[in-house]
Amino acid sequence: MDYISPFDEQLREAEPLAARTESLDGKRIALLDISKRRGDEFLDRLEARLGTAGADTRRYRKPTFARPAPQDLIEEIARDANLVVEALAD
Amino acid sequence: MSDLTPAPATAAPDFELPSIDGDPVRLPELLSQDSSVRTCLLFAHADCPTSRLALRRLGPLGPELRASGTRLILVAEESAAAAARLARAHGVDAPVLAQSAPWSVSEAYGVVSVPTAVVIDSDGAIVDRIEGWDADAFERVLSISLGEEKPRWKPGCGARASETQGAGGLGAAEGADVTEVLEDMFERGWTDGLPVIPPTPENVERMLGERAADRSLGPVPPGMGEATLERVAACAVLAGCRPDYFPVVLAAVECVLDAAFNVHGQAVTTSPPGQILIVNGPVRDELGLNSGMGALASGSRANLTIGRAVRLVVHLTGGAAPTSLDRAALGHPGKLSFCIAENEEASPWEPFHVERGFDREESTVTVLAGDSPASISDHRSTTPEELAATIGWGAAGGWSPFMWPMEATSLFVIGPEHARMFEEAGWSKQDLRAAIYSEVRRPARELKRGETTSVVDEADPDELIAKWPSPERIQIVVAGGEAGRFSAVVGPSMSMDAAVLTRRIE
Repeated sequence: MDYISPFDEQLREAEPLAARTESLDGKRIALLDISKRRGDEFLDRLEARLGTAGADTRRYRKPTFARPAPQDLIEEIARDANLVVEALAD
Repeated sequence: MSDLTPAPATAAPDFELPSIDGDPVRLPELLSQDSSVRTCLLFAHADCPTSRLALRRLGPLGPELRASGTRLILVAEESAAAAARLARAHGVDAPVLAQSAPWSVSEAYGVVSVPTAVVIDSDGAIVDRIEGWDADAFERVLSISLGEEKPRWKPGCGARASETQGAGGLGAAEGADVTEVLEDMFERGWTDGLPVIPPTPENVERMLGERAADRSLGPVPPGMGEATLERVAACAVLAGCRPDYFPVVLAAVECVLDAAFNVHGQAVTTSPPGQILIVNGPVRDELGLNSGMGALASGSRANLTIGRAVRLVVHLTGGAAPTSLDRAALGHPGKLSFCIAENEEASPWEPFHVERGFDREESTVTVLAGDSPASISDHRSTTPEELAATIGWGAAGGWSPFMWPMEATSLFVIGPEHARMFEEAGWSKQDLRAAIYSEVRRPARELKRGETTSVVDEADPDELIAKWPSPERIQIVVAGGEAGRFSAVVGPSMSMDAAVLTRRIE
């Protein structure tokens, strides 16, 4: 007996994780603040430590943690950076 | 004396079937790939619990079987996409072929029930055959150990080719009993944890009526499954809705999918919210929605199944299953179903939907994001001011006792007896809202604990801080039985940026 599925059968499988990077040399690291309380403190610390290690970092910020990142922000990060660290918080 | 001479081997019928990778596979080529192994064709389909049992137990053993000289191949009586899903869901680590109607390969191999395993030697002769799930036979024929897991034996189900059309009211395959069908729904994951009604084409068609099955209400976050009317109808069937409930479900799903409602955030947050419905207008009586005694309780099919259908759309079509994409640390029981009908007849005020700009004779559904309800008892107040204070302070611990102001909406469900005290004093709904808003305030010094809000941080110690940032964050409906001095407040959903939205039910 066939059934009508409540699932969307066309959905893509989850994308595999990108390969882990071997080295930070020559890589730009995006530090993404999701606008949650104290996320900036974590990123400040991380930015300082990465800076000491000679890494190139750039800060980005989602307008609100409650919603997905805007597409143009995702594209901007994808265009400008090689790696992303996203700071969850609370 | 019995005849111990083996029956002469039969030649395996030739076939060509598409693999789920898209390449066609022919039996002779398969056999010629490696003459040192034999081939085990395992016929199965997704609607058969015994097939799925066999796939779960045998499928992951593909590499082990191959190493010991048997090439396992799943021949699914399914489309390529459904075959891939079936294989994935059961961890099948072996080639998968897809077979469509008229099931000529099954017919050629005499497969009348599934699962059926047919073992072919490298010369193309059928040397063994196992029907149903028979762990002893599989261990013997395939030289493997299947462990002690029960069941060791289970009869199969009708193969697609042998199915009788239109069998069974619940959508049972021939020979399946009701329990088996319900268990099948659990195995597919088409559930919120409670038994469901199977979404057979007939059931879904009845739910849809004349509506276009492929019309879409949009993608459902967070998984972005497309909410076609057919899929929403499937959820309504699963939930146990009657077809005349479906317009309420559709209007609610349209609200839920409005970007302003931000169901995406609600669905994936670690906080608890569910999607709460409020129904107003004549549809309440037409469908038998309970707005009276036990309005927030169990017992009313219309309330429970409408609320459940909407949640199933988010949970199944949207993929927001708890522990999967739904990351709520605790959640709450209202995430199974939460549909309130306003007791407009017992309310001294304009109905909730009229306050929101609709005509009294229109039927509407409103959605808001919310946590679990907390009961507020008050048998002692003698003035409306006292009662408003009790009701307001009953909500003051919402989200956190020290989160002031709380950027969230609180929904107060005022019981009819409480409502009467306000009515007798001539209070409007706006009077009650204003009274709650101005009553529930605390000096900032009492709220300066740990990391509080910036409003409290920046306030003078004696400055009074209100619980809600504005009176508009206080929503009021009337529901419940005529007797009993109880109200309730639905827990707020903080930080979810979720608008309260109302739609007319068409």
